[in-house]
Amino acid sequence: MPVRGLLGSDYLKIRPDFKVLQDPFTGDDVVVVPPITPDVALIHALKGDSAGNLLVDRIEDDHLLAQASRRVIATVEELVPLVGGSGGPALQETTDGLFVSGVYITALVHAPHGAYPAGCRGLYEHDPTHIRRYMEAARTTTGFQDYLETYVLKNTSKRSAISCQRSAKAGG
Amino acid sequence: MSAAAYTPEELMAIVISREVRDGETTAVGTLSPIPTAGVLLAREQHAPHGTFFFYKSDYQREVWWPFRHGSKEFYDFAQQGRLDLFFVSAAQIDQFGNINLNVIGSPTQPTVRLPGGAGTPMLWTMVRRVIVFKTDHSPRAFVPHVDFITCPGLPPTGTRRAGGLSKIVTPMAVLRWNREQQQIELESVTPGYTAAEVQAQTGFQLVSPAQFTQTPAPTDEELHTLRTSVHQHLSHIYPQFAAAPSHTPPGSVRY
Repeated sequence: MPVRGLLGSDYLKIRPDFKVLQDPFTGDDVVVVPPITPDVALIHALKGDSAGNLLVDRIEDDHLLAQASRRVIATVEELVPLVGGSGGPALQETTDGLFVSGVYITALVHAPHGAYPAGCRGLYEHDPTHIRRYMEAARTTTGFQDYLETYVLKNTSKRSAISCQRSAKAGG
Repeated sequence: MSAAAYTPEELMAIVISREVRDGETTAVGTLSPIPTAGVLLAREQHAPHGTFFFYKSDYQREVWWPFRHGSKEFYDFAQQGRLDLFFVSAAQIDQFGNINLNVIGSPTQPTVRLPGGAGTPMLWTMVRRVIVFKTDHSPRAFVPHVDFITCPGLPPTGTRRAGGLSKIVTPMAVLRWNREQQQIELESVTPGYTAAEVQAQTGFQLVSPAQFTQTPAPTDEELHTLRTSVHQHLSHIYPQFAAAPSHTPPGSVRY
């Protein structure tokens, strides 16, 4: 993919996969970079149904991430009834919510407050106090383990994972 | 002119506001409360017809972050050359107008690994004027050669570009990038400092210090607007910064 700028930077020294081509339309030099194809993407959505259709925050790049990745695991604030094959009325796009088709999604987990301690736009703010607590805990292995025990491993009972019954995205 | 006391952050915001031109399209990136304050001040004073973007602002999003197709839409907008003014900070700045946002030390064995450039190497080239803001003016930051060129002062011939580095704003001085001469010049010095003091805190020779001027001190009107309506907007976009207690006036700060 072509990207303007970058020429003259040291990125070209440490990234041999960044190539310089001549733009056939203008004659300018232009950097082309290989697309990133993550093996797995984890995204958090506002809503989702059991076919993996989602409503994501359109300010972020979750749609792009879902398109790019081989497997996508989505966590959703709200699980809505499946209606039809392409998202029911509950997944109607809004000012904030962008529809992502379940064709990109490998598995879906109902995880209310799943973005915490980061925020979920329109629903809850990030929690700087908790983020600082995590940063402090993560300084040591035992602190990190304690954190996992307290805040992650003991809070899984309410979540239900739904496999979207699709093979991983083709490619690579 | 004013004899009123002001903080280094207020001075930088006011200096930045004077670089904003009416009718232009100005964007402010993430973690940039000082440029945000400066741009909001310009909007209230001499640039009411500008278009302003504040990165992913939830506050007044319809106007100040109108992109609805991810940050990709914003970067595409910038790649088309639609931005006139943008602001970046840097860990290091050198005499050739290069900046470093990536690593301190060797790229393969860094002593400090920094967050990196994100979209900056593209924005740097495709925005007409880029202003670097740096809250610490020290030889540690102003170095003869950056450890890693995230953005080059002078891109190679054949690079499509809209602009690039324009000025560098610090609590001590305003520096100017002379593109023709490929050198950094002392444009003006903050009241209370001397050119020699600025030079002593800069790890390379600043050009033409004999021709520098004194940065005009903040006016009463600038300070008043900054502390009232601008502060009110800022408290929504950067609540922690806006709530911070007043900082030390520049006259008593020595870097």
